[in-house]
Amino acid sequence: MSIVKNPQSMDLAETGNVGGAELKMSFIKNVQTLLQQNIREYGMYIAFFVIIVIFTSTTEGLFISSRNIVNLVNATSYIAVLAVGMTLVIVIRHIDLSVGFLTGFLGAIAALALKYWGLPVYAAIPLVLALGVLAGLLSAFLVAQLGIPSFVATLAGWLGYRGALQFATVSTGTIIISDNVFNAISNGFIPDIRGIGILPGVHKLTLLLGLAAIILFIISEINSRRKTQAYHFKVLPLDMFILKLVFVSALVGGITWVLAGYQGLSWAAVVLLIVVSIYYFIMSETVLGRHIYAVGGNPQAAELSGISVKRITYVIFGSMGLLCGLSGIMYASWLRSATTTAGNLFELDAIAAAYVGGVSAAGGVGKVQGAIIGALVMASLTNGMNLMHIDISLQYIVRALVLAAAVIFDVTTRRRGK
Amino acid sequence: MEPMTESIPVVEMRNIKKSFAAVQALRGVDLVLHHNEVLGLVGDNAAGKSTLVKVLSGAYIPDEGEIFIEGKKAHISDPMDARRLGIEMVYQDLALADNLDVAANVFLGHEVVSAQLGPIRVMDKHHMELETQRLLDRLKIDVSSVRLNVESLSGGQRQSVAIARATAFNAKVIIMDEPTAALSVAAIGKVLDLVRELKAQGSSIIVISHRLEDIYQVSDRMMVLRHGRKVSDHPVAGNIHEFNERVVAYMIGARDDFAETAVD
Repeated sequence: MSIVKNPQSMDLAETGNVGGAELKMSFIKNVQTLLQQNIREYGMYIAFFVIIVIFTSTTEGLFISSRNIVNLVNATSYIAVLAVGMTLVIVIRHIDLSVGFLTGFLGAIAALALKYWGLPVYAAIPLVLALGVLAGLLSAFLVAQLGIPSFVATLAGWLGYRGALQFATVSTGTIIISDNVFNAISNGFIPDIRGIGILPGVHKLTLLLGLAAIILFIISEINSRRKTQAYHFKVLPLDMFILKLVFVSALVGGITWVLAGYQGLSWAAVVLLIVVSIYYFIMSETVLGRHIYAVGGNPQAAELSGISVKRITYVIFGSMGLLCGLSGIMYASWLRSATTTAGNLFELDAIAAAYVGGVSAAGGVGKVQGAIIGALVMASLTNGMNLMHIDISLQYIVRALVLAAAVIFDVTTRRRGK
Repeated sequence: MEPMTESIPVVEMRNIKKSFAAVQALRGVDLVLHHNEVLGLVGDNAAGKSTLVKVLSGAYIPDEGEIFIEGKKAHISDPMDARRLGIEMVYQDLALADNLDVAANVFLGHEVVSAQLGPIRVMDKHHMELETQRLLDRLKIDVSSVRLNVESLSGGQRQSVAIARATAFNAKVIIMDEPTAALSVAAIGKVLDLVRELKAQGSSIIVISHRLEDIYQVSDRMMVLRHGRKVSDHPVAGNIHEFNERVVAYMIGARDDFAETAVD
């Protein structure tokens, strides 16, 4: 093929055999090109990194301390889980305002089941998750079957679940949960391997898991690169590929080291990692994920291609309900109780996290990993500013600016990309 | 003896009638499309061209009339029925999801699956990308990478990808509704080249267009509809000026070859 269609990527492909100083130049140029081409995707990670650096320096390292990071992750996980579901809801051009009080209500159901209905924790959790799915399908019925705008349908849900939560807790007030297994979900840590002499005070299993994750990541990246080359598609230049491997490995290694220095990986982080892995896999590798993006990008085209928009709507709201159940369990476990106002404003935190994570209101654009980063960014802001003793009113304004900046950044880079 | 299949038309629609409330959109139209033929379909607004092809593509169910695909009577009640029979429609700018790449659009609804676990079907992305590249090469469509998102393509490239997508899965008949609308002159040329390429590779095609010169350039035969009736059905012949004059005469009602068969 003789036609040069993309001068930038041609540059990238041709930096094979150059020497010495030129190599250095081409490396810097490659970094620049890569950043320019992927600014939308990498922008979020860079912003997150900047926030970490700023808070680490302003709090004299307190922010990055093992104890704080563990707390931050545990306190973010129940919002992050909701943000994953919310991202998918927004991808298919809907919104779900009912998730906050649904989360609170389902948490209360979990507490009631454990304390008053005498259900064991292994029965209470599936029950709550199933109820969550049912609630999600009810929203989907209103939206997909009856054609009610999701904003209104889930606003009704917001009211309804708020009432349901108060009704569930009216006679008891706050329900204290005393089940140790349940409370460990958001407060406990994975067990360590006993009887190893080296590295006292460091969580060995966490280190091993981190190492396994890095090795798995490198192997899968190399495999995918080989496969892509075998099909003669363009791949990253070798130096950029190695840079990516080193960067991600260092990041995972760093986080692992920080966590291992305290009590190791928390169960909440494990739950979050499992949710992200499953949703990431579904969205990027499966037919269902592709159909979800197609429905978000062009519902008419999807329908004409034989994809049922209705079915996808049921799946997405069902998944949102499931994640509300999970989030409710995690939040109740975190507080070791169900309160009368649990879940208040969670929906707005989840929506903000989704938008900071790069979801587009126009539909069809948004990634699961973005939702997690978005949730972490918003939680880091609160956490870091609390450590700095910044006034709460100012905190809201800073968070508002970050949310607005994220959306402005997204809109402008999108426009320039066209 | 000639093989029989050569003389059996790939599509035959007989006496198709369709009304919307009080409006008779189609008043008994016959349409024949032969193998490896490009049929141009023209007519003024509301003449019934789109209604006719939507009946064929399963979007509308006719009130009366019969459809035969390769000589066999067909019952088409939704777009999936039509697709199963090998009838693919290229919708005017409706067919593509902007947020997905070229390969994902070509295979949308036909994804190649490498592993299945209950309702979770894992896609074979490399295979789909490779097949898409082959398809684009075969049709001489110029797109730099099958991994480009469709939103970054030009209007002509988008239309080409939409047409390629319709032809990807053994379509017997390709219907194009205004394939050159809203395109630049250069892009129109490319889309018309694509129609010729498809014919050269054996496809049977129905093209609807307001642009008579497009129909003239690519069609073997042309049908004119007026007020829901067929008024002309001739091979495309003569020079462009004669052609234009003749077609306009049919379109405005100055000529009518089927006047005696008109009802009411």
